[in-house]
Amino acid sequence: MTPLQQYGLLLGMVVATVGLVATVYLIARSLGKTRGEPGKDVPFTGGTLSPKPAWVRYHIHYYGFALLFLAFDMEMAFMYPWAVVYQELGLTALLDMGVFLAILFLGLLYGWSQGAFKWQ
Amino acid sequence: MRSSASPRSTSRRGSSTDERNARHGRSRGADAVDGLWLALALLAGVYLVAVIEEWSATGRVRPAVPLLAGLATLGRESLVPRRSDRILFEAAAPLLLGAALLAAAVLPLAPGLIVADLATGALFINAALVYVVVALVMAGWGPDAAYAMVGGWRFLGQLVAYGMLIVMPLTAVAMRAASLSTTAIVASQAALPNALAQPLGFVLFWLAALAVCFLPPFDLPTAPGELAGGVFGEYTGARLATMRLARLALILTLAAAIAVFYLGGWLGPVLPPWAWTAAKTLAVAAALLGLGRFVPRLRGEQLLAWGWQFGIPLALVNIFWVGVTLLLV
Repeated sequence: MTPLQQYGLLLGMVVATVGLVATVYLIARSLGKTRGEPGKDVPFTGGTLSPKPAWVRYHIHYYGFALLFLAFDMEMAFMYPWAVVYQELGLTALLDMGVFLAILFLGLLYGWSQGAFKWQ
Repeated sequence: MRSSASPRSTSRRGSSTDERNARHGRSRGADAVDGLWLALALLAGVYLVAVIEEWSATGRVRPAVPLLAGLATLGRESLVPRRSDRILFEAAAPLLLGAALLAAAVLPLAPGLIVADLATGALFINAALVYVVVALVMAGWGPDAAYAMVGGWRFLGQLVAYGMLIVMPLTAVAMRAASLSTTAIVASQAALPNALAQPLGFVLFWLAALAVCFLPPFDLPTAPGELAGGVFGEYTGARLATMRLARLALILTLAAAIAVFYLGGWLGPVLPPWAWTAAKTLAVAAALLGLGRFVPRLRGEQLLAWGWQFGIPLALVNIFWVGVTLLLV
């Protein structure tokens, strides 16, 4: 199969998934309907309707981790092609990426020393 | 049902697949038959994972329970909370299911028996699994419920903890195979499965797989006994059934990923290749579901701190270790 056909197949899987879910919902609909009764659709908050929406500003306590995560995630974009040609290039590849990873690891240690790995 | 009907017919089909592969240019009909088997394998796998989940929770093997429980769930009312963000609320469950199935599509059941043998399979599975986070944050945001929202934000933090531990061990796996294709990765384990060649990566990937499936001890977004259901809390009836189905499919996918990337996939003596993949996948699923129950739930801050202070340095050590062994051996 050509790559285009493979991705077509994967797109077909997504469509089939939506179809499957729609079928499940239709079966459920055929088994009975939801009765609209007052108070039934209140989200669980321990008995009362919350006066405020849940969509409030939320303190992302882990932002230190999240910033480092961005750096490491970008680095992985370089790691995958490197991993494929690693055995071909041998020691050169190990040294090249070793230097890169060492610098990145120093960044991790620096972040650690500055308290990035704490629940803020 | 599956054990009586499918093995005989599949082994017949397995031998004829090899002949068909020998003559290149497979017919459209053969592809359709393969597709049918893959769909059946997925369905059977999800059902068996449901049976295993029941066993891990109650200690009893009751094969009919998932079917009956599923039907009972469909028969219940499916409510939409007032003031909900309807689009996100409705889209979360299909998205979670779609992400799990797309990730499963690049994992081979046997040589040639795979939905899409992408040249970038190991990368594609990462891309698909990221949508688990999107789906759970949507499920948390959608219903405008406090507990669900807390669960959603928690899982976002969980991603920051486990994300690199999915990606980095897979890099080491790709280094050994010199390819990102999942079939090439299985073939590269003929001499020694990756679980033994890269034990550190295996352990890290295992823990990350637990965290992706939000299974105990990493079940922060649902947190039974603490969050009133968390991200699943406001889902009822057919929507809850879809959500649970998606979760089971996710567990099956991650178990299959561990089997393919670390336990040698279809490689093994005597039994046909598909049986080896199936057996390894189900064994891993049972271990994923069973073992975590004996560990107390981690707090989010512990998960993040341990993931970054131990997990990522160890994952870097793993890449270095694999690099050196590949040059020396």
